[in-house]
Formats: sequence, C-alpha cells, structure tokens
Amino acid sequence: MNGWLRRWLRPSFLVGALSLLTVVGLYWFMALRPGTNPALVPAPPTIVTTFIEEIRSGDLLVNTMASLKRVVIGYVIGAGLALMLGALAGWFRWWGYILNPIIDALRPIPALAYIPLVIVWIGIGEPSRIIIIVLAVFKPVVVNARAGMQEVAQIYVDAARTLGASKWRVFMTVAIPSAIPYFIAGMRTGVSTGFLALVAAELIAAPSGLGFMIQNAGQYFRTDVTIVGIIVIGLLGALLDQIASRAGKSMTSWSEVRRDP
Amino acid sequence: MIAPTEMRPAKLGIRHLTHRFMIGTPPAPLTVLQDIDLDIARGEFVCLIGESGCGKSTLLRMMAGLLTPSEGQVLHDGVAVRGINHKIGFVFQQDAVFPWLTVEQNVEYGPKSRGVPRAERQQLVAQWCESVGLSAFRKAYPRQLSGGMRKRVDLARAYANSPDVLLMDEPFAALDVQTKGVMQEAVLQLWANSGKTVVFVTHDLDEAVFLSDLVVVLSSRPGRVHSLVRSPLARPRNEATRVSDEFAAAKRALWTELQAARQQPAVQPA
Repeated sequence: MNGWLRRWLRPSFLVGALSLLTVVGLYWFMALRPGTNPALVPAPPTIVTTFIEEIRSGDLLVNTMASLKRVVIGYVIGAGLALMLGALAGWFRWWGYILNPIIDALRPIPALAYIPLVIVWIGIGEPSRIIIIVLAVFKPVVVNARAGMQEVAQIYVDAARTLGASKWRVFMTVAIPSAIPYFIAGMRTGVSTGFLALVAAELIAAPSGLGFMIQNAGQYFRTDVTIVGIIVIGLLGALLDQIASRAGKSMTSWSEVRRDP
Repeated sequence: MIAPTEMRPAKLGIRHLTHRFMIGTPPAPLTVLQDIDLDIARGEFVCLIGESGCGKSTLLRMMAGLLTPSEGQVLHDGVAVRGINHKIGFVFQQDAVFPWLTVEQNVEYGPKSRGVPRAERQQLVAQWCESVGLSAFRKAYPRQLSGGMRKRVDLARAYANSPDVLLMDEPFAALDVQTKGVMQEAVLQLWANSGKTVVFVTHDLDEAVFLSDLVVVLSSRPGRVHSLVRSPLARPRNEATRVSDEFAAAKRALWTELQAARQQPAVQPA
C-alpha cells in the first residue's frame, strides 16, 4: 500500500500524468470553443460514452479480436522466419553469402510499398493483409538478429570449441544465447512496425478490424468512434510491447545481477 | 638445457615452429615466434614467461590448435595438432565462463558436447564443483559470482572435460593479489590431484616461481626460447614457500634470466 502510494507520488509519474492531462485539456478546450462542430470534434465525455457504447454493442470486441488475430499470425510468421534466417545469415558464412544480398535489398523498402503488388497478386482477402504484416515484422527482426550474431564475443566461441563443441552446437548454445538481447530489440521494433502495417492493411477493404473501424467511422463522420479505435490501437500496441519486453527480460535474466541480501 | 629422456616421453612437442602475422598497411610480415623447439614432459607444470609481445600467448594458442603456425608443428603425444582438440583444455585470460548458463551447466558443457551420458556428467559436475569449492553455488549464474569464483568455474569447466593437457593463458592476471594467491594454490591442488600436464603463460615472476617445475624464458621480437629454468623448490608448496629464502633465490635467478633474454640481440629472419 505504502509502496503504491510512493510510486504514484514520484515526480516522474506526477509530471507525466500532468503532461498527458494537459494535452487532453487542450483538446477539450478546442472542442468546446464556440463554432466547433461537436460531431467532428467530440468532447472527451462523448468519447467516453462512445467507448462504453462500442463495448456494449460488441463491435469493439469483434474488431479488436479480428485485428489481434491478424497481427499475431503475421507477427509469429514474420518474426519466426526473420529470427531463423537472420541467425543463419549472421553466423554461417555461406548462409550469409546467400541471404545478405536479399536482406540488404529489402532493407530500404517500407513494407507498405508492397501493398499494391500484394493486392494485384493475391487479392484483397485475409492472406494479403497477413502477408503485409509479415513483411513489416520481418525486416527489423531479421536485421537485428543478424547483427546480434555478428557481435558474438570470440572468447565464448573459442572456449566452446576447446571444450569439444561442434560448429552446430556452438551456433545453438553459444551464438544464439549471446545474441538474444539483439533478438529482443528486433522483436520489440517488430511489434510497432507490425501494428503500423496492420492498420494500413485494414484500410484496404477489410470487413473488420480496428483499422477498418476507424476508416469506416471516418467516412460517416463518426469522429468519436475513430478516436475510440485509435485509443484501443494504442493500448493494444503498448500491451504487446510489454509482453515482448517481459518475455525478453525473462529470457535474459542471467544478465541481471541478483545477489542475495 | 633439459632434454627429454626416454623415461618421460614428451606430452607436447614443438618442432621448428615459426609464426608471422601480417600487420600494417601495406601488410608486411612480422615474425612473432622464431624457430621454437620445446618438449613438455607428461605431468609437468610448465610456465612460459617473457616480456609482453614475446608471443607466449600466441604459442599457447597454437598448442591448443586455435591458431596454425606459419611453419613447423605442435605434437601432442607425437601426433601433429591440426585444429582444435578437446583433449587439450584451455583457460583464457578473459572471463570466458558462459554468462547465460549456471555454474553447473558451465561445468557440464564440455562433457555434454562430447556426448557423455547424463549420469556420468552429473558425477563429473559434482566432483569438479566440489574440487574448486563451488558446491554451494551450482545453481548460481556467473554474474552473481566474484571474479575469483568465476575463474574457479572456468577451471572446473576445463578439468571436467577430462583433458590430457591444460593450457592456461594468464588466467589470474585480472585478479587482486590475495585472490590471485588463493587461486594459484587452487590450481596447484588441481594439478597435484589430477596429474595432468599444465602449460601456464604468465608475466608474473612470483607466479612462475611458485607454480612451476620448469620455466621457459622467451626472448622478444621475435619470440625465441632463451633458456629453460628448473625449479629448485620442493613440493607441496604453500604460503610458507612464498616467504622462504629458496623462493627469493629462485626468483632472483629467474629475474637474471629474464634480463639476459631482453638483451639477447634480435636475429632477423632470413
């Protein structure tokens, strides 16, 4: 109890909350100015009401689950492939020769640039939306995974080899564990690029999802619904980032100094 | 000079070993080791000593097969060393304990790499954690241990792999004086109990005198064998050894050799 109170009274928390409230306050002030159309610039209470309505009607849940499903499928495929290929490319010379040109060619191209191609080739169904997310997640993860493998300290490799470890065992038990902090960094970036791509992918003819919801509401001048959608996207992104970061911390718990008192 | 006798066949033999590094721009060859011939007898504790830059670490890495000499060869039981050989254990100067594995997982790493069955591995882990006094820390991660304790893990890991020869490259250089002393006694204990040949690189005269049966003094640039100095000190050695007159005399003799090695004119390779 005491701990909670102290945490809430910390300057970082208090000032941070104040800073956020000021932004909301400024928005509220704008919304209430005479001559502002409340339908286009809804005041915060309206947004809260809409939020509750959207939850009650079940629309919000349906759209959130649709988005979540896409982003999770796309993320797992994209990050999984990227970790595997990045690790191989960064460690084994011949895999590097094969994969590096492809990775480096893809690197400067934003995933969203593929949208027109994907639509023409695959259509506007669910697979297209997932492919775009896969592409968006793949890039930061593969680049980080490869970099991590290239930074493995030679001393650990030498130690493992003198102990009789095969090249494959060095890869699995030395290179990969020591590159994990890079994997985590890439996977966290992947969460945000995946989300970006999700919204973009759903802006193109999706029947459901948060991207569809904000786009659709915008067309009907339901700014309040759009704002609710944006808030949920933000919350969901923060949640997934937290999960990725917690998972990363538990995987690298060995790097933290924990001495018994 | 002590020549190997038929009674004690050489565990490690170095034959006409010369090594050059390419350095600078444009790259030019620099001879770091020149025409080294050396025999290390089974079960001996041998120290390699010399100024920094005399190539002693390079020589040790070649014995392990981590580096291939430009000319000549290293023989292990009369067989030329080609590539890394797990029969030759290595303890590095830097902290080489895997930080992502616990103490016991580190110690188990070598046997597991070689496919030793689980039951036997667990026995090895128990035995070697005990030998280095880390039984209470088997589940700890290296970051939770002090520098000296991590070196103990490193030693246990090397010994648990049942090597035939142990090569140690200034393993205690980063430790404080007291910890270093304790570790030197620990290493002598391990050596005495296992009977395994040890080649130990150091630039610390006290360390060389305290540990060795034989000190190989290398001269610098390029590194050559200047002389071999047999230790006059009795075993077992302990704290009393360090303050004895014999120790002081042995250290003085070694110091003289080291000075002579420095003054040995460098011969340019043909």
